[in-house]
Amino acid sequence: MTVFQFVLKRSFRNVTNLIFLTLFPAACIFLPQGDPWPLLPYGYQFFGILLLFVSIRLTLNIQADRATGVMKRLSVAPLSHFRYLSQNLLAYLLIIAAQCTLVVYGGVLYGQPLYQPFLLLILYISYSLAALAVALAWVSFFRNKDVAFFGFVSLVFLVAVLGGLMIPVSMFPEWLARIAVLFPTYWLAEGQNWIVFGGKSGEFLFVNVILWIYAIVFMIIGSMRKIH
Amino acid sequence: MRVLSTVKFTALRMIRNYIVLLLLLVVPIVLISVFAIILSDTVTESGERPLHGIAKIMVVSFQLFAGSIVMSYIQHEFFTAHKMRLGVLPFRKELYAFSIMMCGTVFSILLGVALMTYSQFVLGVPWGNWAWSIYVIALMSVLSSTVCLIFTFSVRNFKLAERLSEVYGVGFIALAGLFFPMPNNAFFDFMGSYGNPLVLSMLSIQAMEQSDAGEAWFTANILLGAIVLLFLLMLALGRRKMA
Repeated sequence: MTVFQFVLKRSFRNVTNLIFLTLFPAACIFLPQGDPWPLLPYGYQFFGILLLFVSIRLTLNIQADRATGVMKRLSVAPLSHFRYLSQNLLAYLLIIAAQCTLVVYGGVLYGQPLYQPFLLLILYISYSLAALAVALAWVSFFRNKDVAFFGFVSLVFLVAVLGGLMIPVSMFPEWLARIAVLFPTYWLAEGQNWIVFGGKSGEFLFVNVILWIYAIVFMIIGSMRKIH
Repeated sequence: MRVLSTVKFTALRMIRNYIVLLLLLVVPIVLISVFAIILSDTVTESGERPLHGIAKIMVVSFQLFAGSIVMSYIQHEFFTAHKMRLGVLPFRKELYAFSIMMCGTVFSILLGVALMTYSQFVLGVPWGNWAWSIYVIALMSVLSSTVCLIFTFSVRNFKLAERLSEVYGVGFIALAGLFFPMPNNAFFDFMGSYGNPLVLSMLSIQAMEQSDAGEAWFTANILLGAIVLLFLLMLALGRRKMA
């Protein structure tokens, strides 16, 4: 697990990353409640968007390895691509899961109304898997770090609005609401609605399964490219 | 006068900068269009369309990031890649720096005007007094360039200066209460009204629409005052850094 340890160190070494990984999530706890929308406090609405930013910041490490030729050296080292990638992703997932736990249980301690904190944590972790996979697939298409990052930022704006994190899907015209189903953010919003209103547990499982399917599909796309 | 011959090339370089075009032209166009589709049928009780306000705020708020263009070129020309070359060129460096700043600012104003044109003629957002709106957008663009250059000249680490410029943009959008309502106290009330360039410019544009020229000039002059003060500060810092 050498790679794993190294990736953990590396992710926290950069100051911007440190702010993204610790300060911003912590700030999400303290944002006020919306009236009448969003149903959960603002911070928990925006945390979904923040997770996308965190995912791209983390996966850019892999992109940097491709761009700087580290991958080429690794390909002749006695380390399979699968091990490199899986340990990277495991480290990222650990970091993100820690963040989600901090945000959800910090909110509970602070006294935010989160209805069912544990299920919310599960939902965020499922969503993070999808977000990481999408970011991984995204960076595998770009050679230039800036292009990858800013392209993804533009994508985040769109996906956040179209998925119903900024404006409730109930306000969308019908055809747009149908398209919204395509975005992982839509399923996060759906899951959050379920947590607030309750319902059959099958529905909640369905939302999570959709997010896992996203994760698997994009993970496969993202892990195909080994070396530029 | 030799500096004038470089303007053409600076302009060409900026127009070919696809990342900037994506972030400051394509993204806002797509976002405003999406909002327009979603809010197309929404009308408040007083008969106003919320879309109009949102579209205007978005067009103006993208001017907060105008300075990032100027910043990256100044950094590239004066402090990193072309530093040595500039030392031997037979023209005044200050003028060249100023021309880059003007090019970046004008480029950003043009992008703003393109967004105005798009929102008015495609999405039907009435901009009222065009000349005044463009003047306010120009003020915002100059202010953003000045602030970003202050960051460039005063912070040793350019990456940090870039982050600070993003904080300036996103921070004032947040302080204007566009993401979530701000707490009610003296500081946040001030930063959400007369202490916030984004809010000032919106107030100014709205006042001119309601033909309240006094209020419009007042708010725009606050911006102008801020620009003059910060510009002097920027000159002082720039001289120190270039020396």
